[in-house]
Amino acid sequence: MKQNSMLAMVLAGGRGSRLKDLTNKVAKPAVSFGGKYRIIDFPLSNCANSGIDIVGVLTQYESVLLNSYAAAGRNWGLDSKDSGVFILPPREKADGNLDVYRGTADAISQNIDFIDSYNPEYLLILSGDHIYKMNYSKMLAFHREHKADATIAVIGVPKKEASRFGIMATDEEGRIVEFQEKPKVPKSNLASMGIYIFNWKLLRKMLLSDMKNNESHHDFGKDIIPTLLNDGKLLYAYKFKGYWKDVGTIDSLWEANMDLLDDTNELDLGDPSWKIYTEDATERPQYIGADAEVKNSYITQGCRVEGKVESSVLFTGTSVASKAVVKDTVLMPGSAVEEGAKVTRALVANGVRIGKGAVVGNAKSEEILLVANDVEGVK
Amino acid sequence: MAKAYGIVTMAGSHIRIDGMMDFRPVSAFSFLGRYRIIDFPVSSLSNSDIENIHVYVSQNPRSLAEHLGSGRVYNINSKRGNLQLLFNQDSNLNDIYNTDIQAYYDNMDVIERVHQPYVIIVPGNMVYLQDYARLLSEHIESGADITVLYHKVNNAKSEFRNCEVVNLNRQKGVKSIEKNEGNLDERNIFMNTYVMKNELFMELIKKAKKTSSILRLVDIINMENEDLDIRGIQHKGYFDVITDFKSYFDSNLALLDIDAQQELFKSEWPIYTQTTDACPVHYCNGSSVKNSMVANGCVIEGSIENCVIGRGVEIKKGAVLKNCIVSSHALISEGVHLENQVVDKYAKILNIKEIIATADKPGYVRRNDVL
Repeated sequence: MKQNSMLAMVLAGGRGSRLKDLTNKVAKPAVSFGGKYRIIDFPLSNCANSGIDIVGVLTQYESVLLNSYAAAGRNWGLDSKDSGVFILPPREKADGNLDVYRGTADAISQNIDFIDSYNPEYLLILSGDHIYKMNYSKMLAFHREHKADATIAVIGVPKKEASRFGIMATDEEGRIVEFQEKPKVPKSNLASMGIYIFNWKLLRKMLLSDMKNNESHHDFGKDIIPTLLNDGKLLYAYKFKGYWKDVGTIDSLWEANMDLLDDTNELDLGDPSWKIYTEDATERPQYIGADAEVKNSYITQGCRVEGKVESSVLFTGTSVASKAVVKDTVLMPGSAVEEGAKVTRALVANGVRIGKGAVVGNAKSEEILLVANDVEGVK
Repeated sequence: MAKAYGIVTMAGSHIRIDGMMDFRPVSAFSFLGRYRIIDFPVSSLSNSDIENIHVYVSQNPRSLAEHLGSGRVYNINSKRGNLQLLFNQDSNLNDIYNTDIQAYYDNMDVIERVHQPYVIIVPGNMVYLQDYARLLSEHIESGADITVLYHKVNNAKSEFRNCEVVNLNRQKGVKSIEKNEGNLDERNIFMNTYVMKNELFMELIKKAKKTSSILRLVDIINMENEDLDIRGIQHKGYFDVITDFKSYFDSNLALLDIDAQQELFKSEWPIYTQTTDACPVHYCNGSSVKNSMVANGCVIEGSIENCVIGRGVEIKKGAVLKNCIVSSHALISEGVHLENQVVDKYAKILNIKEIIATADKPGYVRRNDVL
């Protein structure tokens, strides 16, 4: 007998404005990553691999591409009879106005009917903008074992960076005693990964009252979690070990791509037991030319390299022409570096063309250069 | 709705590829690292809106069945369309009994039930692109009974020796289709591609069967030439045919040429294949790659030159490969030196440090073997 004991909801509505021009036309979860993937492939593949059959994806900002992308549940194997990916943008309801999602918790509140229709025992909340591989069924086992009301996945971060995160202070058993949102003086180094398991009945009740509360931000971190703690509910921290990265800025997105060049990288996208699934590109095999030089790089299907590529990640269908040099750079899908051009320490956006002989980026710059528009060649 | 259905044939019994064919039919051979040869005919049919496709297979069907799946990867409509494997049992008595006609005859009930009035028959061992919708309308307009495709070559003395040639009269009428005897360089290579009414197709099968048990479709068409209007249409564009081990080896390496790639891969005419969700290729520090095609999932630490590397292949430090075709999930360990080899799936080269052959007579490492 098939069981839908846990249903997943992916929060994918954010714009990710710190990704600048990359998210002008697409939402952050739809941004490309790792040569052939999109960021949202990670939570969706994790769901599929964890045996979660029903996944709701809450979209809002620039959701057309994301909607059509995520709706093809078969890309992740979420397409059997009792399984599916459901796109849930804000929509007009019989009893009221057309509301946008006012916060992460409100996005769930507005879809209570959807969740009820599957009558799950547990609800898994995920964010659509992190790169990591995680078995949610293990987290659920932990949640059940502790008879928790809610479980929050946490990861140890360096003390000095802790003030950038939501921090969980726990007792020896892992029970959360205090939650601090971006604290100046963090009480622990356990950062919330934005992954929650709730007992649905309890959360449902909380959401209904949160909806009516005019002072609430309707946010899990700001409102729901603190209220649960105040009410003395059992909240546990589930410690995650492994690769986890918030790719919210150009620098961190570039860095996460560069991490793939490290042989000891824990993300290990080549692991056959936990594949990350994505849309199938009907592109030819990649071709490395007779005079090309490729050093420590990550290159995918559809690429054509005739120049020099070093310490770089080349996405689907990119090309590096002869005598061009690409170093410490991320070339997003369909971008092209023409003959003799030189690109260093840059992230070149989708479809951007770097003209003949152009020089872009600087090996010494601290920040990664985002190249979002075509660069004219040099005559 | 297209007016034709498609048939992808198996290679005739005159085609033997030792080693590789022990494991799968030619149409299921790996090609350019990520494709199977059958991806080319099936993608072309699908791109031409031919959505009812019969694929014939007689021996070792597992590989082909696994690869084709439901046909969804070929963009064939999952409700209206149909990609079907048709089996026939090859006779062990004598290879001469194993004709295409016998296979069709064994599946006559399926052929009779087809709704589409026309059939387009394409080979499973040739690599080319063709808009079959256009071919069909040219066939209908011409009023011919049968239209066949041919490809003009100027090296038929040395190449295409296991193919047939089309002899045409001035009006592009087919006079005969005969074996390539290798006496002329300029020849029209027969592409084993036919368009005709399904009714005529069935008639020819029955007639052939009645006449003799060893007739092939091309034989009965030759015999009926007097009574039928058979025309040839010249195919233009990339064309290659796999008839033996050497031509398999050559046809892969031929596509390392950029102009050849441009001719075969066109954005408006995608070639579909099964995805394996393999991650991109990691070219590690110390690797060297020249003039090669590499499929996803590979980890390259060694040196490769003029190679076609399949999915998930590992090439360890210090390994040197020249003019090699390595099929998916093979492992080439440290310091191994290979030249002019075809390494089949899942093979591991661990202990032998050198296998070198000449380009005229490439070597073969069997599937699953550990050397």
